[in-house]
Amino acid sequence: MSTETTERQILDVKGLNCPQPLLKAKKALQGVPVGGLLEVYATDPGARDDFASFCRSTGQELVEQKEEGGAYVFLLRRKK
Amino acid sequence: MEEVSVRTLVASLAFLAGIVFGATAQKTHFCTMGAISDVVVMEDFRRFRSWLLAIAVGMVVSQAMWATGLVDLDASIYRTANLGWAGAIIGGLMFGFGMTLAGGCGNKALVRIGGGNLKSAVVFMVVGITAYMTLRGLIALARIELEGATNVNLGMPQGLDAILGAVTGIPSAALRLVLTAAAAGAILWWCFKDEAFRTSTKDVVAGVVIGLMVPTGWYITGVVGNDEFEPTPLFSFTFIAPIGESLQYLMTFTGASINFGIATVGGVITGSFLMAVATGTFRVEAFTGARDMIGNLSGAVLMGAGGVLALGCTIGQGLTGLSTLAVGSVLAFLSILAGGFYGIKYQEEGSFGGALRAALTRG
Repeated sequence: MSTETTERQILDVKGLNCPQPLLKAKKALQGVPVGGLLEVYATDPGARDDFASFCRSTGQELVEQKEEGGAYVFLLRRKK
Repeated sequence: MEEVSVRTLVASLAFLAGIVFGATAQKTHFCTMGAISDVVVMEDFRRFRSWLLAIAVGMVVSQAMWATGLVDLDASIYRTANLGWAGAIIGGLMFGFGMTLAGGCGNKALVRIGGGNLKSAVVFMVVGITAYMTLRGLIALARIELEGATNVNLGMPQGLDAILGAVTGIPSAALRLVLTAAAAGAILWWCFKDEAFRTSTKDVVAGVVIGLMVPTGWYITGVVGNDEFEPTPLFSFTFIAPIGESLQYLMTFTGASINFGIATVGGVITGSFLMAVATGTFRVEAFTGARDMIGNLSGAVLMGAGGVLALGCTIGQGLTGLSTLAVGSVLAFLSILAGGFYGIKYQEEGSFGGALRAALTRG
């Protein structure tokens, strides 16, 4: 049973280029409880496409995506 | 009115073609390293299909140009009788692995520079220096030793068509038709059977546009550049040696002459820059620290040396070379894929041994 929380782990991959942001996010997500949130800060221009594809392909939820202070911020929820 | 020299015309058209290439890659995120990474990290084959679609398009149109007599692809370096199989494999593996550390291949470095990435500007310089060292400098000594010890002279162009033709007695031209139809047909079937790819407009458009860049290059050098007094070497898109030549060109400008490759390097950066500004995605990026720097620099060295050893990169061999049906291109392409695959696994697992184990058990 998954319990959705508002508590979030933070992952800062600003300044890193692919494949690093996704690899680190994938690994970080494994440490997040199912239903938990991971907030990722990235600057790679391909990040928007990458994280959308990642969630689509792996069945995770892209709760929110925004730009803040020159970085992309992705809020992922672990669904499985 | 003063006549424009053929060299200037070729360079100008190459620059413009480069702009289209760079702008397209920037907008669609077409990325050969990304293609491999997407498959390994999240089993997403769309960008890989985009690359294959480009191969199919490039092959069909290039072979059609050859069949109709517009160009003679036997004159390209890819079809040389001197088969550098060891360079293709070793260089391909090095290049594939290196590109995963450097944020992408040579072309991607140019696209990233256009997008504001200073790391890629450094990668560009290291690739250029290393490539030129492998072409004509210190590393060339090792390259020449390797080639001397392992190269095989086939006594005919190293095209799959020529080799099969020699074995079966069937004329090469007919075999080219069959091989192209078979390869392109298989690729098109495999690409478009997938709904996710079919509906991904940007990936399909990228595949078609970038695929068309290859015959565009053949046309610019082989048709427009076909001057009886100053014939232009038959050339199409490739990036490693040209990056080296571009650096050298910038440094020796007063006594140097531009060529197709150098002009395309400038074009890709320009096209990417224009698109980045137009879409508001221009952003300055820099190294985050020692680890980031070591990765990018190592990757750049591997790409510079590997790309020259293999006679080309993901675009040079993986697109242009394959369009000529050259055996060396197939070897290089497969080796680059293997090196890239291993490179992503290495970064995922964190160690060379772990990556090898992960790669072999993947099945």
